[in-house]
Amino acid sequence: MIEKKIGIINRSLPHGSALGRESLDLTLAMSAFNESLSLFFINDGVYQLLDGHNPTDSLQKHFQPLFKMLELYDVENIYVCEQSLLQRAIEQSDLLIDVTLVDEQQLKTKLALQDQLLSF
Amino acid sequence: MKFTVVVSSAPYGSQGASSAYQFCVSALKAGHQIVGVFFYQEGVLNASQLVSPATDEVNLPDFWAQLAIEHQFPLEVCVSASLRRGIVNETEAKQLSLAQFNLKPPFVLSGLGQLAELSAGADKLVQFL
Repeated sequence: MIEKKIGIINRSLPHGSALGRESLDLTLAMSAFNESLSLFFINDGVYQLLDGHNPTDSLQKHFQPLFKMLELYDVENIYVCEQSLLQRAIEQSDLLIDVTLVDEQQLKTKLALQDQLLSF
Repeated sequence: MKFTVVVSSAPYGSQGASSAYQFCVSALKAGHQIVGVFFYQEGVLNASQLVSPATDEVNLPDFWAQLAIEHQFPLEVCVSASLRRGIVNETEAKQLSLAQFNLKPPFVLSGLGQLAELSAGADKLVQFL
């Protein structure tokens, strides 16, 4: 069976809901079974990768260090919407991990390549 | 066509899980196959035996259970998302020394690896938020 290409879309702020954390949990777990994962960070989702979170004062789990595990788990297709960064005055150098910046057209093309999508 | 359905929302308070259920019913009626339903995030609350709406309202956990038994597909519930939200089966209750458990049969607690398997076995994956 040909492995399904799975795209995981992250649209939410890192805290305020567990969406970001549960997306990352899912990604890391799925990576053991599927080597064709792609991650997409768009809209407020880009804040998840902005380095320097400190959420423990607000009783939230500091899950941001787990993003570093992606490389270890061979999840290399990490796409960040350039426009979303621009709108939020975030530079690529402010991000915690190495990513590929994509413009709107590239984003559409990459998303269309996926067999299955999950959105958080 | 083979479908795997991911339910990310609670049985009450938002419409996602109801829509997911109706999607499954319609897909089966149209002759498609449901490979399985995976409950994640708030969706794990669909597996609670304690959901008790008013008698003239829909009890979605009951609906899921009936549909899954009738059409022989699994209702897989993410164990880590469940334990964080107080959905516990007998084994976990014993291990964690909890006085109660509340997982409704035929829902089963399983890992995210099971989602990978359901995804691999399906032509289409449909998520309800």
